[in-house]
Amino acid sequence: MTSPLTRSRRTLLSAAGLSGFLLLWELALRSGLLPGSLVPLPSAIPRVFWYELIDGIWLEVVRSSLGHYSVGLLLGSSLGIAVGVSAALMPRFNALHAWLARLLRPIPPLAWIPFAIIWFGINPAAAAFIISIGVFWINYFASYSAVRSVDPDFDEVALAFGQRSFLARLTKVSLPAAAPGILGGLRAGLGQGWMTVVAAELFGIPGIGQRMMEASSLLATDIVVVYMLTIAGLYALFDFLFMLVQHRVLRWQP
Amino acid sequence: MNRPIADASPVLSAREVSLGFGYTPVLAGVDLTLYPREFIAVVGASGVGKSTLLRALTGLLPPQSGEVVIPAGNAEDTRAWSMVFQAPRLFPWRRVRANVELGLEGLALSRAERRQRALEPLALVGLDAYADRWPHTLSGGQQQRVGIARALAVRPRVLFMDEPFSALDAITRRRLQQELIALRRRTEAAIVFVTHDIEEAVLLADRVMVLGDQAPGQPARVVDTLEVDLPLDERRDHPDFAPLVQGVEARIGDH
Repeated sequence: MTSPLTRSRRTLLSAAGLSGFLLLWELALRSGLLPGSLVPLPSAIPRVFWYELIDGIWLEVVRSSLGHYSVGLLLGSSLGIAVGVSAALMPRFNALHAWLARLLRPIPPLAWIPFAIIWFGINPAAAAFIISIGVFWINYFASYSAVRSVDPDFDEVALAFGQRSFLARLTKVSLPAAAPGILGGLRAGLGQGWMTVVAAELFGIPGIGQRMMEASSLLATDIVVVYMLTIAGLYALFDFLFMLVQHRVLRWQP
Repeated sequence: MNRPIADASPVLSAREVSLGFGYTPVLAGVDLTLYPREFIAVVGASGVGKSTLLRALTGLLPPQSGEVVIPAGNAEDTRAWSMVFQAPRLFPWRRVRANVELGLEGLALSRAERRQRALEPLALVGLDAYADRWPHTLSGGQQQRVGIARALAVRPRVLFMDEPFSALDAITRRRLQQELIALRRRTEAAIVFVTHDIEEAVLLADRVMVLGDQAPGQPARVVDTLEVDLPLDERRDHPDFAPLVQGVEARIGDH
C-alpha cells in the first residue's frame, strides 16, 4: 500500500513527469539518437508558434476551425438532445425510429465525408455537417438514457400537484431531473466534435487540420506540433469553461 | 375533538371502489365519505393495498369500477386534494420554497402571492428560515416537513398522507405526530392517513378503517371501521387507548 499523495506533491510529480519527457525528447534529438527530420526540437516550438502568430496564420486557421466547430456543435447538440428527449418521453416516436437509429449509429462521422463533399462541396458547411453527426449521437444517447432513468416517483409528485400537461412535466420534472446526464453528454460532445474538426479539415477544408497537412508536406514538423498543442490547449479551455457552467447549473447537487 | 360540521357537504365520497393490476384484484367495494376536518386512518397488513387505495381515491391510479368524487370547490387558488408521500420526494433541483410552490404553479396566483402562499405553510412546520436552502442540506425529518408544507400550500380539501412518518426515526416520528395533531386545528382539510402503525392510527385519527383480505389472492375489503372517541391531547395516557389499539389489532389479526 502506498500512502495517498498530497495535492502539492501530486502537482510536483506531474510537472516533473512532463518536463522529464520534454528533456528526454530534446536530449535524444541533440545527441543524434532521433533524426531531426522526424520530430522537431521541443525548444524550437515557442519560436515557431510566435512566427505563426505574428504572420496572422494562427489566428486565421483557429478562427476558421472554431467557426465550423461551433456551428456543428450547436446543430448536433440541440438536435441530439431534442430527439433523445423526445424518444425517451414518446414511446411511439421511439419505436418508429429505433431501427433507423440502430442502423445509422455505428457509421463513424468521417464515413460521411463523401456525402458531405457531394452535398456541400469542400467548404466549412461540409465540416460543420461532419462534426454535427458525431456530436448528435453522443447527445442523443446521453439525453435519452438520462430522461429514461428519471425516478418515476417525481412524475407522480408532479401529477399529485396538478402538473398534468406534457409541457409542465417536461420542464418541471424530465429536463431538470435529467440535467446531469444531458450536461454530461454535452461535455462529451464538446470533445468528440473537436476531434472531428481536425479530421474533417485534413481533406482540405480551411482550418487547423489543413494547415497541419500543408506543414507536413513541407516536413515542417515544428509547425505540426504547434497546432497539435493548439488543439490540446483549446480543448482544455473549452472543457474548463463548460465545467464552470455545468457546476453552476447543477449547484443543487450535493 | 374535530367532529365534522353537521351541515357541511362531504369533501370526498367514494362508492364501491375496486381496483386491480391486470387480472389480479387488489381492492373491492370500498366506500368512504369524508367531511371537512375529519381524520381517517387506514390500517392493514403490509401489502394489503393501503397505498393503492390512496391512489385509487386520488385518481393517480384510476379505479376499475366505482366512483370517487372530490368536489373541486370554487376557489381558483386552491386544489381539491394534495398528498404527502412516504419519502419526502422533494425536487432536489428546487430550493425549499420552490418545492412548496410546485402545487401553486398553474393556479390563479401572482408570483408574489405564490411566494407568500409558500411561506405560510413553511412557517407552520417551523421551516420558514430554510426557504432558500437546497433540500439535501435538510435532515430527513425537515424534508418530510417541507413535504407537508408543500401539500398544505394548495389549501386542499382532502389531504392524503401515505405512511408519512414510517421512514423517520422514533424521536422525529413522535415529534411530527405531535405537530400533526396541532396542525389539525389550523386546517380545514380532511385527512386520509395510511399507516401500518396501529398506535399511530389510534393516536391521530377520528376513525380507523381496517383493510384486510378474506383469503390469499382475494381482493382487500374494508373489514371494519372503528371510532376513536378520545380527546386529541394526551391520548396515549388515556385508559381507553390501549384497549382501542388492541381492538384494531384484533380486527387485522382476524384477516
